[in-house]
Amino acid sequence: MANNYLTTESKKLATWYFTFAAIIFGAQLVFGLVAAFQYVMPGFLFEIVDFSVARMIHINALVVWMVFAMMGSVYWLLPDETGIETVGIGLGKLLFWVFAAAIVIVVLVYLLVQVGPADQTTIWFINEGREYLEAPRWADIGIVVVVLGFVYNLYATGMKGNRSGIVTVLMADMLAFAGIYLAGMGYTDNISIDQYWWWWVIHLWVEATWEVFVGSIAAYGLITMIGAHRKVVEMWLWIEVAMLFGSGILGIGHHYFWIGTPEYWWEIGALFSALEPLPLVAMFIHVLYDWGKQQGAQEAQGKEVSVIANKPAFTWFVLQALGNFLGAGVWGFFHTFPQVNLYTHGTQFTSAHGHLAFFGAYATILIGMFYIAVQGKHGIKVMHATKKSIWATSMIFGGVLGMTAALTMSGYVQVLVERAQMGASWSGYFDSQASVWFAQGMDWRLIMGIVTFLGFVILVTDLLSIGKATHHER
Amino acid sequence: MVQETIIIQDIIANDFLTIFISSSLVLVFGGFYVGIYTAVKVGLLKKWAMLFAYIFWILTDYCLYLMGSLMHVNDFTGKALVMAAIGLLLLPHAVYHMQNRVHEENEH
Repeated sequence: MANNYLTTESKKLATWYFTFAAIIFGAQLVFGLVAAFQYVMPGFLFEIVDFSVARMIHINALVVWMVFAMMGSVYWLLPDETGIETVGIGLGKLLFWVFAAAIVIVVLVYLLVQVGPADQTTIWFINEGREYLEAPRWADIGIVVVVLGFVYNLYATGMKGNRSGIVTVLMADMLAFAGIYLAGMGYTDNISIDQYWWWWVIHLWVEATWEVFVGSIAAYGLITMIGAHRKVVEMWLWIEVAMLFGSGILGIGHHYFWIGTPEYWWEIGALFSALEPLPLVAMFIHVLYDWGKQQGAQEAQGKEVSVIANKPAFTWFVLQALGNFLGAGVWGFFHTFPQVNLYTHGTQFTSAHGHLAFFGAYATILIGMFYIAVQGKHGIKVMHATKKSIWATSMIFGGVLGMTAALTMSGYVQVLVERAQMGASWSGYFDSQASVWFAQGMDWRLIMGIVTFLGFVILVTDLLSIGKATHHER
Repeated sequence: MVQETIIIQDIIANDFLTIFISSSLVLVFGGFYVGIYTAVKVGLLKKWAMLFAYIFWILTDYCLYLMGSLMHVNDFTGKALVMAAIGLLLLPHAVYHMQNRVHEENEH
């Protein structure tokens, strides 16, 4: 497809990142389905792609496609925000190919080699065995180099061009995002110490730096899609940054309840976790407030037309606000206190929370950015939804909600049978797994996973075709 | 020497469902409170609807209390929950106040 309407190299590079992200997103869903099948039919692909391998690719692909889409989002918005072409764009393009090649090699090793001996060669060349961050050491170093290049592009552009509030927040946030990754690269044979630092990466990414990133993208989206007032949006953004970092950083305490860290983390975790939903409520209201304000101002002028310049993208942005509130907020809050987390920890409750939170907080808004890129690429002034985009949105969102409900049901069985009644014993674990309610939860998770995957297929066809539809305003 | 250990009181099996539902409702009712407050302030709902916003805040507090009681939270966590409830009460007031000031500065 020609990039006729893309006037900057930065936006062209962004489309590369989005395209690769969408491919890895697909891989994430495929291997998620494999793992879901294995819960229902344990012999499925046995000794070919075992559950441990499928799950590893499923959750690592999740992180990778989101990082790619985040970098693409920054390259997309930089020319709009700074008013100049991204500085060092040649380096950005080179690093894209380096990053993409490294990811392909890592995935092939995961699939073809899978496991190695219990020594340093496995850590360096196969995987590090840390959930979500299993990239082997050589790839770890490569990722650091790529991200440093990306941060250089962002800083050089921000310092040379117009440094808006959004760009300033992104500059600070991306530096933290990159720096925190280093905490997960060390090696220790003490599992408590290892987990302590590993949570710095996972928690401080998803409950601090990624959330702030999402706030910045939402601010950009509100300005470009509904014409929200920049000063108002940026004021919101600063409030959200303060609230997210204020509650999120020490909210890490809720991961330190049972890993061998001192017991004062119970109190710290409980206090800051109780505050963590507040910025999520604020972000939800932020989107609705700005939308209502802009639409009201339009109607006050006697114009009945919608203020939304990109309907599919805006739908995903609104779903982000809702999904973040539900997944990170509601599903996080109800097992965040140590008193109840003692029973829910490591059950399917965690999985339910993980699915809805990652999807609601991040996947949604990044899909929204895909649609913004399609709009820009085809020079569309007002982009309307198609039947495909409505089906894709409904099936993906409904599918993930369905998976979350099913996993919650199975998790509830584990809490009652395995933990509360049988005291987290060996036999308790197997009794809960054998429960008909648990098994039905797994069946429904698979069914809703298939719905999500079909929705994804429709989404991809829509992204490839919606730009050519004739009902948009150009 | 005996080390001091924090003991967590067991949760009764029959209480789990109430805990999960009440803690979910904390955020749902809290969301209604903030949502209705915002809708009244931007003129989407009439002023009398504000009463319902505060009713939802009270319901939020009740759910927090119920959840905390059934979980047998300690004194510190109990205070943290009270702080969270007060924070939720003040949040939309503070944000709307700042929002309004920025709008006035930029649009008038």
